[in-house]
Amino acid sequence: MPLILFKTPKIPFMKYRFVFLGITLAIVLAGFLNIVFGNGLKMGVDFAGGTLVRVMLKTPVPVSEVRQTLKDAGLDNSTIQETGKAGHEFQIRTTQIVKAADAQQEIEAHQKLGDSVIAALRGKDGEAETARGLKDLNAIDSAGLTALLSTSFAADAAQITEKISGPTGLRTSKGILTDYAELQEAGIKPEVVTFLKDKTFLGKLTVLSKETVGPQAGADLRRKAVLATIWSLIAMLVYIAVRFKIEYGVSAIITLTQDVLVTLAVYSFTSREINLAIIAAFLTIVGFSINDTIVIFDRVRENQKAMRKESLIAIMNLSINQCLGRTIITTGTVFLTLLALYLFGGSVINDFAFCMLIGAIEGVYSTISTSCPVVLWWTQIFKPQKAVTRKK
Amino acid sequence: MKKGLRWKILLTVAVLVGAVIISYPIQDKIKLGLDLKGGVHLRMQVITADAVTQETDQEILRLEELFKKNSITYLSMTRRAPGRFEIGGINADQEVKIKDQLDQYLRDWDYTFSGTTASVSLKPPAAAAIKDQAVDQSVETIRNRIDQFGVAEPLIQRQGSEWIIVELPGVDNPERVQDLIKTAAVLEWKLVKGGPAPDEETLLKDHGGVVPDDQEVIKGDAKRRAEGFYLVSKVAVITGKDLRMVRRSVDEWNGPAVAFQLKPDGAARFEQVTGANIGQRLGIILDKKIQSAPNINARIGDSGIIQGRFTVEEADDLVIILKAGSLPAGIKTLENRTVGPSLGADSVKAGLLAGLIAVLSVMIFMIVYYKLSGLNAVLALILNLVIMVGAMAYFRATLTLPGIAGIILGIGMAVDANVLIFERIREEHALGKSILNSISLGFSRAFSAIFDSNLTTIISAVFLFQFGTGPIKGFAVTLIISLVANMFTAVFVSHWIFDATHSKASQKLSI
Repeated sequence: MPLILFKTPKIPFMKYRFVFLGITLAIVLAGFLNIVFGNGLKMGVDFAGGTLVRVMLKTPVPVSEVRQTLKDAGLDNSTIQETGKAGHEFQIRTTQIVKAADAQQEIEAHQKLGDSVIAALRGKDGEAETARGLKDLNAIDSAGLTALLSTSFAADAAQITEKISGPTGLRTSKGILTDYAELQEAGIKPEVVTFLKDKTFLGKLTVLSKETVGPQAGADLRRKAVLATIWSLIAMLVYIAVRFKIEYGVSAIITLTQDVLVTLAVYSFTSREINLAIIAAFLTIVGFSINDTIVIFDRVRENQKAMRKESLIAIMNLSINQCLGRTIITTGTVFLTLLALYLFGGSVINDFAFCMLIGAIEGVYSTISTSCPVVLWWTQIFKPQKAVTRKK
Repeated sequence: MKKGLRWKILLTVAVLVGAVIISYPIQDKIKLGLDLKGGVHLRMQVITADAVTQETDQEILRLEELFKKNSITYLSMTRRAPGRFEIGGINADQEVKIKDQLDQYLRDWDYTFSGTTASVSLKPPAAAAIKDQAVDQSVETIRNRIDQFGVAEPLIQRQGSEWIIVELPGVDNPERVQDLIKTAAVLEWKLVKGGPAPDEETLLKDHGGVVPDDQEVIKGDAKRRAEGFYLVSKVAVITGKDLRMVRRSVDEWNGPAVAFQLKPDGAARFEQVTGANIGQRLGIILDKKIQSAPNINARIGDSGIIQGRFTVEEADDLVIILKAGSLPAGIKTLENRTVGPSLGADSVKAGLLAGLIAVLSVMIFMIVYYKLSGLNAVLALILNLVIMVGAMAYFRATLTLPGIAGIILGIGMAVDANVLIFERIREEHALGKSILNSISLGFSRAFSAIFDSNLTTIISAVFLFQFGTGPIKGFAVTLIISLVANMFTAVFVSHWIFDATHSKASQKLSI
């Protein structure tokens, strides 16, 4: 006997279509109010412009201290987010309003802001060492390190550098070095470690990434993202209209719009930012949702051929129920994947996975709550005889 | 063996083997994007008006010479805007001669006369061509510089009418690269007439506060510790164009410097000017900033050094820039993203772990829930991933974070295709149909849903690829590849595995 988790149920989903509509509108409205009058959507540097700096610290520091340091440096308008390992990794976005004569000065000002965030966090750390001619082993680039090493280890300089700052090097995988002993454990010869101890010091901070987007680039990225999304939606509308009927195409687009709006609404209640990766997450959500929707439409199409006498409502109910097992299993496996990404995906993937988790749930909900009802409403409005008279 | 099955198996094995061969060794074949590998992404704008301005100035010079040769008289010739200049103080009897010259030599220019002034402006198509060329030239120059700097697999690409995208994987020093790219690299040697002074006022005190006609004020480069303002002659003795060879060298204090050799023409001029001005200073000017102003101690022949308290890296970069030539127009940064290697490594590690957990849990679920048929789905899924990797290697696609999202969606839809088919087979079997019939009906009835949903998504992904920027494109590419692979594995391969493992004699359907 097959292992069956979900027997085809007989839930009258279509009966609740107005309840679903109410719930959907309530969520979208709440999101709308929050976006317009409340917290608003936080646009990341990709779209709003500005500078985003990610740093890693050698010793853990509470967020409040980071905030205070930046405040003391006159950078109190920065948003600070703890990411990754607690107290070690911070993501800082400067939100100071930069007024400049032209776009070029504006982006330079943004770059400077980013630099001053790094300078403020670094503080006086390493000043004395640098004055003595020592290099910061946590900040030096590969070319500089090779040059330094080649003064004493000409033959092995490149190889040692590879072990420290190469793609799989110690500093690369750890993010920041905390102790010279680590180098020795990683298989670097004692005499090299002694040399490095002599010529370098371990600064308290490394810059993981620094991204500055100027106003023009931000506007372009925004425009292209919107354009790409609109064109791909139109393409879907046309294809579905051809393969099914126009009302199915329209319904699919409305369903997808709902997916985006509901996910945006939920997202607006978090402190997460919208960036290009989040746009990719939205596109993924749209992809899953259209898949769900088409599976049900396909079943409706098939059932309509077989049961010419049934009403559209009955056929839709039957189709949703027949597909329910498949919907839950598929979404369940996708959900597992996303959960793994969310839990183990690291700081950069986290926002992205969170967004998709919401979207995956919403995608199933919208397929049941919106896809079929919209087709039904369309039929009732434009072809009333078909919707009603088919009843026995 | 059933008819046609042999061909199906052969085709599948061929695809599998092909994919494996193409993608071996995997770390060389699959390129990681900057977000996963670390590196620098720059978007820059070429200030194309600069090139038009230069063209205008050159035409003015040319016209001045022509007028002189043909003894045409006028009062002034001044540039009013990029691509527009005016000839002032024209006598009525000169008008025809001037029109003649303009018609003959300035074919790309329109002109109008009003009173004693002629306004000459560049025709829009010609201006557009100059701008276009300036961007192409900038791309070439930047490519030369980056090549000499030595970056593996750089991407330097024109985008739209005046933007350039530069992507340098693995580079961990964005400031240096940015300077290297943006330096216009107009190098000039000019005689120093006064300075350095702390401000312009002090500098011009001896000249009654006005800059003499044949001279100009130039600032010292603070980076080279040549602070203050200098007064230099307008005419350059030699320029970067006169250089024959440059290399890094050392100055008399053993500090890094750049040694140069001149072409014969330049060398002759250099020798003559330095000989005539012993005891004076010669300013070395890079992009309108004095690098250093050494004394002329003796007549200098065809070689010399440029000193300016450089670091070794700065001296190296100057050599690169001088070798690669100057930019035809100014460049400004629009977007500058630097991702350190460790952040990317972190994402790759985390992404791989998450991916592994996800794929394993999905596989375990499929086998538990659909038993042997689940195993079939797992095989199809593995084949899908192998084809995916092979196709990415074949198309030299770059894997990015959004690309991983595309793969997730692809895997999700691959699993879905299997679930659709299996659920359908179960349904048909529950209705009492025979095993073979159930399998055949399951595949054929589920096909339209799989086909339509995959194709809809592929179509939308094609549009995303066409209109989207970097990350969105990355998403679209992996999605398209994975969905195409999906149609092959879930529908075709899975089907023949069912056919091969079931016959009329089969008693049980393990699903």
